[in-house]
Amino acid sequence: MKSSRQRWVIRGTIAAACVVAVWFWPLFQIVPLEQAEQESLAAEAESFDPAAFVEKFWNEQLIPAESRAVDAQKLIAAIQEDHAKARKTRGRSVGLSSTYYYFISGTGRVTRVERNTVALVIRQGADDAEVLLESGPIFGNAVRDATGLLDVNDYANSQDFNRISSEINRRIEAQVLPTLRKVAVVGGTVRFVGCVQITDETTDLSPLRVVPFIAEAQ
Amino acid sequence: MVRQSFLRILTTLACSLAIAVTGCNSRSRDHNTQEASTGASQSSGQKVAVVISTLNNPWFVVLAESAKENATKLGYEATVFDSQNDPAKETAHFDNVIASGYSAILFNPTDADGSVANVRRAKEAGVPVFCMDREINATDAAVSQILSDNYSGCVALGQHFVKEVGESGEYVELLGLVGDNNTRNRSDGFHSVVDRYPDLKLVAQQSADFDRAKALDVMETILQAHPNIKAVFCGNDAMAMGAYQALLAAGKDQQVKVFGFDGAEDVVNMIKEGKIVATGMQFPKLMAQTAAEYADKYLKGERDLSRKVPVAVELVHQGNADKYGDTGKEDAE
Repeated sequence: MKSSRQRWVIRGTIAAACVVAVWFWPLFQIVPLEQAEQESLAAEAESFDPAAFVEKFWNEQLIPAESRAVDAQKLIAAIQEDHAKARKTRGRSVGLSSTYYYFISGTGRVTRVERNTVALVIRQGADDAEVLLESGPIFGNAVRDATGLLDVNDYANSQDFNRISSEINRRIEAQVLPTLRKVAVVGGTVRFVGCVQITDETTDLSPLRVVPFIAEAQ
Repeated sequence: MVRQSFLRILTTLACSLAIAVTGCNSRSRDHNTQEASTGASQSSGQKVAVVISTLNNPWFVVLAESAKENATKLGYEATVFDSQNDPAKETAHFDNVIASGYSAILFNPTDADGSVANVRRAKEAGVPVFCMDREINATDAAVSQILSDNYSGCVALGQHFVKEVGESGEYVELLGLVGDNNTRNRSDGFHSVVDRYPDLKLVAQQSADFDRAKALDVMETILQAHPNIKAVFCGNDAMAMGAYQALLAAGKDQQVKVFGFDGAEDVVNMIKEGKIVATGMQFPKLMAQTAAEYADKYLKGERDLSRKVPVAVELVHQGNADKYGDTGKEDAE
């Protein structure tokens, strides 16, 4: 009789211990799908924060790198003379690709303002637009890849590297392009620093399409 | 009594675990030995393993065969292992490759996170790994990763989509295998552009599993519900061909613009004929060749190799399709 009671006490204690253990460490949890998705997105954002990264990169690396940009007048002359040589000496490419980039700065006279571009003449006496400053939505990796300041090898995965591009483009749209659209008046002069992506040499070399990260009235 | 019951349960659990573990291992070992013997019978000098996520897709067959061909040209005995999109099979292949004395692995992973442990194990065993096309989420495991930039390729494709379709209208999207990294990267790249134009309305987004026949079925159903669409973006070229077939049968091939991804020869020809608008050209032969050359350089003592080599995806459209052949530029082949 006594031993039977002891057994029940032991069983009861084990059952109580199990209930307490499951209460504190449940085997599974049910959460609403929305909450799970939000937690997943939050965890993803926590692992790499492109906005914080670009904030630091923009102020500490990109803007101070302005002096390394190729002068627009010299680049246009070099491309006209021998575009293959210009690519070799002044261009930059990433990985295995026929696409390449120029990091460029200059001052030009506004000849035309369109919905997504501002056309500039750079050299005195030139009639046709030599540079088109992008003033609409910005896509691609021109600023990330043209300057040589960022290296894909420094990032655990290419999604993070692509998110840097998206964030740089978003920042240009939010902070640079409103100024550009304000100062872009036909006949006026604009100073710019930016990057060019050349994918198809038959169309992209003249005029050069520049994604500006600095644009101001001169 | 309680102790006896506890012991009984413990013994049962231990036996089940032992059976499960030994059962799994023996099956994997048999499978691996079979494939290893194929390689061993051919090998004489150093051996290179080509471990591919799946050979059930022609694009990956090109990648695998090119890797094998290039390794053979460089003087290695090369064997292809098919992981059949199964991380467990991939792990078994790595066990086998490490135990069988292979000198290097040219690797197309099944999972960006799940495959990292396999690569680390090979590294610890002194077998260098070179990733092709797909990425693993670690920079300290593989010697080099030669990667196709799906996201950026689809950004360019998205820009061309807006140029061709315009900034308003209804369109649909056919996704690849849900859960595949490339499905997400391609869709994300495309939407990073197209979603900026609020008047471009995505009226249907469905998976057709990268499969031509499924794409045909899915597109037929979508057309019944949405007869006024202006365009369809497909996550690969096989689905683009299936979608075009459905549009042709419904008499809507002139109304709806089709966009694909991969650079398959058939689609490049259809672009030249004006049937499909554009695709993103990937370069499996170039990636495989680069991986084999990197492995050769590494085995000969060179250590100054890039850890990541992005390979651009190029936009093929009606204005430049003449420059492209199957899986690459014609002048590059």
